[in-house]
Amino acid sequence: MIALYFDPGTGALIVQFIAAGVAAVVLFYKTIMGKIKGIFGMKAKQEDDFMEDSDTKADDN
Amino acid sequence: MESKRITSSFRDPSGFVFTDGDAVKRAVNPIYFPQYDALTQSGFYTTLFEKKYLIPHREISRSEAQIILQAEKIPFVNYPYEWSFLQYKHAALLTLKIQKLCLENNFTLKDASAFNIIFHQGKPIFIDSLSFDFYEDNTPWKAYRQFITHFLGPLVLSRYYGSDHLKMLASDIDGMTLKKLAAILPLKSFLSPTLVANIHLLARYEGKYSASKQAVKNRLSKIAQVKLLDSLYDFINGLKSDENTEWDHYYSQINYNEESYLVKKEFTRQWFADIDGRTLIDIGGNDGTFSRELTDKAELIIVADVDANAVAQNYKQVLKNKEKNIIPIVADVLNPAGAYGFNNQERFSFIDRVAELKLSGCLALAVIHHITLSGNIPFDLSARFFSRMAPNLLIEFPTRNDSWVTFLLESKRDFKDHFDFYNEAEFERSYSVYFEIERKLPIRSSERILYSMKRRNNN
Repeated sequence: MIALYFDPGTGALIVQFIAAGVAAVVLFYKTIMGKIKGIFGMKAKQEDDFMEDSDTKADDN
Repeated sequence: MESKRITSSFRDPSGFVFTDGDAVKRAVNPIYFPQYDALTQSGFYTTLFEKKYLIPHREISRSEAQIILQAEKIPFVNYPYEWSFLQYKHAALLTLKIQKLCLENNFTLKDASAFNIIFHQGKPIFIDSLSFDFYEDNTPWKAYRQFITHFLGPLVLSRYYGSDHLKMLASDIDGMTLKKLAAILPLKSFLSPTLVANIHLLARYEGKYSASKQAVKNRLSKIAQVKLLDSLYDFINGLKSDENTEWDHYYSQINYNEESYLVKKEFTRQWFADIDGRTLIDIGGNDGTFSRELTDKAELIIVADVDANAVAQNYKQVLKNKEKNIIPIVADVLNPAGAYGFNNQERFSFIDRVAELKLSGCLALAVIHHITLSGNIPFDLSARFFSRMAPNLLIEFPTRNDSWVTFLLESKRDFKDHFDFYNEAEFERSYSVYFEIERKLPIRSSERILYSMKRRNNN
């Protein structure tokens, strides 16, 4: 591993542990809500994926 | 051929980019050989190329001192401060996708600069082959703060206060400081756990540890980091800018007469065929309606508009139609992106980047009255501007009887007399200094005139 050419910031390295914890809670909540909505027949709106749906290898020259 | 180091490529000691005649090449320094070899041999570079996440490169020479790569050339370099909200969002999501894929393959992104992404062939693509490093187990993402200042900050500020904030990296080349960012965000941002953790808390910790360069001993498992990336992805993916602007759905709102619309389209097609056009810039091109008439002939069309929403509409169509030759960008003719950064040579100005492309034509429909009457730009100066865009110009001149022009003139109130020069004769006289007027067509049943012009050689 080479030394970073910019300072990543000690605070930013520490905060990621907390932010990851928050993320886990948020994602868990979303999953639960999705399931509850699913029970009542409310489907979550699917966002189009801007990268994957586009070209396939077939249209490469 | 002359080989020249690109002046924007100096921040990362792993290597640098240079041009060799027409080709874009990248030198890799020995310090980065282990990473480069691992990325190549593991097939991860190939994966990134196949997914169209990273611009393809191939190795063309190798010595103990240097490896030289040749990268696919990107004709038009565009910058974050020229993207609409949706483009900015997609650039952010692409960065997160790449980091997640990196972790799955035991690599990590060592930087997350928004300047590492360019819109090319209809989509954002990552351009820095040397931004990847080995992932060490249980280490946090070192580029996390940069991701927040380059992507999340501008996106969230635009979400709350409008798309002008997407231009943040033009004034602060590395993004706004976290302290300032946290201070500007409205109180309701505290209702979002994602913003509390990733901006407010981050800003506080930054302040607390600003002088500390200590090694961080905490461990962040890969699973936890993926969760962090996923939640940022979800949050950014859900962000919407709900600004309404003057030019939203311009063509469907304005009472364009159907006939004059068709005349304009036909004139545009004919002009582009006459000049044997291959490449084009459309100034004030809104959502690209008129440029789309030329997509079958043109290799590259840059559609520039001041209105970020119109640019977003255009980008949506590019995605929907899978158009590879249209690049929608936000550009204000009255204040185009300048040359920024060290020596004023890190980010190149809009005009320099366009001039370098040596485009075949410039389209300027329904824009001169705004430049002249809203921006108070004399004809002489706007003619000079257009002469720098391309050797061929198609320009539409709305006369004084046009309803828009009348409205703009009325809004000058007492100073209306100062704009008496806004007329057909004066326009032709000023533009003739820079261009030769080749064809002139008053559009029937409208108060507008179409001109096709050729640049004079002495300019």
